[in-house]
Amino acid sequence: MSSVPISAFLALALILFCIGLYGALTKRNTVIVLISIELMLNAVNINLVTFSKYGVAPAITGQVFALFVITVAAAEAAVGLAILIALYRNRKTVNIDEMDQLQG
Amino acid sequence: MLTGEFIAFMALALVAIIGGVLLINLTKVIHMVVALVFTFVSIAGIFVILSAEFIAAVQILIYSGAITIIMLFGIMLTRHDDTSEPITGKWRKLFLLLGVLGFGVAVYIGIYNLDIPQAANTLHVDNTEQIGISLYSHFIIPFELTSVLLLVALIGAIVLAKKDEDDEKEAEKE
Amino acid sequence: MENAWLIPLFPLLSFLVLLLFGRKLKIASAYVGIILVLVSFVYSVIVLFERFTAPTHKAEAVWLSIGELQLTAGFEVNQLNALMLVLVSLVSLLVHIYSKGYMDGDERFPVFYAYLGLFTFSMLGLVMSPNLLQTYIFWELVGVGSFLLIGFYFYKESAKQAAKKAFIMTRIGDVGLFIGMILLFWQTGSFEYDEIFAAVGQGEVSEKWITLTAILIFIGAIGKSGQFPLHTWLPDAMEGPTPVSALIHAATMVAAGVYLVAATFPLFAASETALMTVAVIGAITAIFAASIGLVQTDIKRVLAFSTVSQLGYMMLALGSAGYVAGVFHLMTHAFFKALLFLAAGSVIHAVVTQDIEKMGGLWKKLRFTGPLFLIGTLAISGVPLFSGFFSKDEILMAAWAHGNYGLFWLAVIAAFFTAFYMFRLFFMVFSGESRSKMDNVHESPGVMIGPMIVLGVLAVVAGYVNTPWFGAFLGDWLTEGNPALGHGHVEGPAWIMFVATAVSLLGILLAWLMYSKKSLERDWLSSRAPISYNILVNKYFIDEFYKLSFVYAAKAISLFLKFIEIFLVEGIMKAIGGITQAFANTGSKLQNGQVQTYGTVAFVGLAVLLVIFALTGGYLQ
Repeated sequence: MSSVPISAFLALALILFCIGLYGALTKRNTVIVLISIELMLNAVNINLVTFSKYGVAPAITGQVFALFVITVAAAEAAVGLAILIALYRNRKTVNIDEMDQLQG
Repeated sequence: MLTGEFIAFMALALVAIIGGVLLINLTKVIHMVVALVFTFVSIAGIFVILSAEFIAAVQILIYSGAITIIMLFGIMLTRHDDTSEPITGKWRKLFLLLGVLGFGVAVYIGIYNLDIPQAANTLHVDNTEQIGISLYSHFIIPFELTSVLLLVALIGAIVLAKKDEDDEKEAEKE
Repeated sequence: MENAWLIPLFPLLSFLVLLLFGRKLKIASAYVGIILVLVSFVYSVIVLFERFTAPTHKAEAVWLSIGELQLTAGFEVNQLNALMLVLVSLVSLLVHIYSKGYMDGDERFPVFYAYLGLFTFSMLGLVMSPNLLQTYIFWELVGVGSFLLIGFYFYKESAKQAAKKAFIMTRIGDVGLFIGMILLFWQTGSFEYDEIFAAVGQGEVSEKWITLTAILIFIGAIGKSGQFPLHTWLPDAMEGPTPVSALIHAATMVAAGVYLVAATFPLFAASETALMTVAVIGAITAIFAASIGLVQTDIKRVLAFSTVSQLGYMMLALGSAGYVAGVFHLMTHAFFKALLFLAAGSVIHAVVTQDIEKMGGLWKKLRFTGPLFLIGTLAISGVPLFSGFFSKDEILMAAWAHGNYGLFWLAVIAAFFTAFYMFRLFFMVFSGESRSKMDNVHESPGVMIGPMIVLGVLAVVAGYVNTPWFGAFLGDWLTEGNPALGHGHVEGPAWIMFVATAVSLLGILLAWLMYSKKSLERDWLSSRAPISYNILVNKYFIDEFYKLSFVYAAKAISLFLKFIEIFLVEGIMKAIGGITQAFANTGSKLQNGQVQTYGTVAFVGLAVLLVIFALTGGYLQ
């Protein structure tokens, strides 16, 4: 029915997730860190939609979940950016490695 | 084997991965965001292949449109001429690279010959209608909660981002 | 008699009151102590007289109930206990009164009386205990009281050492007592004296076990009574105040060992080996300590060795099945030795030295102390008509009657030594001219003389309760209704009495010739046999031997263990500490506030787990 195996979609999602993860944990610019997190969420979405079609029990639920994820991701991006702006106002930097108040 | 679907998948996947790699490797923030737009659009194409036309449309609207624009605003509102040396060393990057590779390999071992028998489905028929029915029947409560979440996020973002006038007034007084 | 348990509580009350209010009472604390002990003494006398007619009274209450086993606590008034109650409370009372004068002006006067109260309480409790467990508890309390009193002048290094030594040496014996007690309990299932004796009497315990437990209990007695080879603490204990020496090291605590053997006498009587051990140790101690006493120059030390020697006599008597003789001598010795110590204290009080080489010619200056000291000396030497004569005679008779001929002759020689060194002491202190400048020599106050007079009278007359001439009243009473204790009076050849008298008089004569008339050279022994003289002066080098063997061995082991401690244990500890610190340093570097570092660590941890999962196909399969 389909000439593309399910593992190909999953592998693509895996690669994108790894790239996003690497970016999220290495990039110094907070904006890029946020974008990387969006990329990871997108990779998850691919998985959801893939299983929605090729899973053991195909159903529309996977796509609905992907929609929810997108919604949450959008909200997260907005709040994350707001936090970034607030931090920038206080510390005059967007470099994540200078935000070390957690050190206590 | 070389069906149109396969060729389309390979092309889209290639673009998506290249966009991701560019995100890692480019130096200018604007370029990174632009590289990511390619990735997002490719993923939308993948969604189409997976008979999720509505998700694909939403993907383009939200990610390629809204989120990218928000990020660009974020970039423009902040300063990006920073040339200071990173505080953490290269060891962490290497460590992390090994970890990510290990993670990728481990997961890949789990999925590379995953063989789930395909069942017939009708996802591609009236996709949007199916999602709509599902959302407004089965997922009505999460859906409504999502609206609450968005409202909270909206208010939260405004509160966080607006200038704290009281503080500034006090600062001026002092 | 039903309320005899109150007797030990009065001194305890004295102890508690003085502990709490001693600082305010000051000199009045002496009256508190004296009055409370007087109550005890009067009550003890009443109990003793009641006991003459009434049977043994025993009362017990369940103290602990463990399954089937019931531990009891209570008191028992039998003949021996009644006698000991009077003896202890009397001597304690007299020492309380005497101390009023002797300890006058001491800063810690109330503390001294508090300690005396504690000690008297423990000793009275000890002699009323109806079972071994209770005995053991009071036994240890007595040890504590003695420790506190010997170390009363704790600012003196020697007193501190002596107190420590006394405590440790007696503890060695206590371990024996404890093991013996546990073994007896294991064999008979009871701590009660009555039940143990009944079990032994009915042959429920094998001969082997009786011998073993009896000897272990005797080891406890060796420690407390200063018998060879655990005697070394007793002479050193003379560092305590002199009234303490009179109380603890003459009449009461050291007699506790003899009392213990007497109280468990049916156990010893059931084993010939145990009796023989007691007799041999007693005889050895008697002659051994007496020979050391010949050459000592410290007035209190001479008396201390004489005490050790006399305790050996008592043990010899008990070991020769002479229960009556042992207890009789315990009683008379308590009187005349307490008298001697108090008199010695009076002398020391007067001349402020303990070295008899510096004394002399005190007879005229101390009009009361001198004659009283002489009475004590005559009594201990066994001169006829004094109390020591009768009790010593009884012991010699018992030894002969039991067939211990070798030990009998040892005892006779010891009696000769005793007479000699006691009169040597007497002549050196009281006769001739003073050998050093003595200013301000004055007789002691009445509070000190009074108790001595009481003891002096008793030292003379106490012997007449049990004589071959007027009847063995004490012996008959003590053994009444208890055949296991032997006969009230031992028949022996009449010549023994003459031999005993002869050696005593011979000893006195020799001492008189050497130290008073000076017709014999004083350094007769030291010039002719310097080696043996040296051995005696150094107390047979027992202390040095202990030092070389046990102390150095213990120190060597400690040193070895110390090195193990330093290098092995501390090394391991440092390694553990270092590793922990290294981890902590690394960990604290990770806690740098960098979100990405945290994320990296968390994620890499997950990745490692996943890789393990992928490689093994599951967790730890």
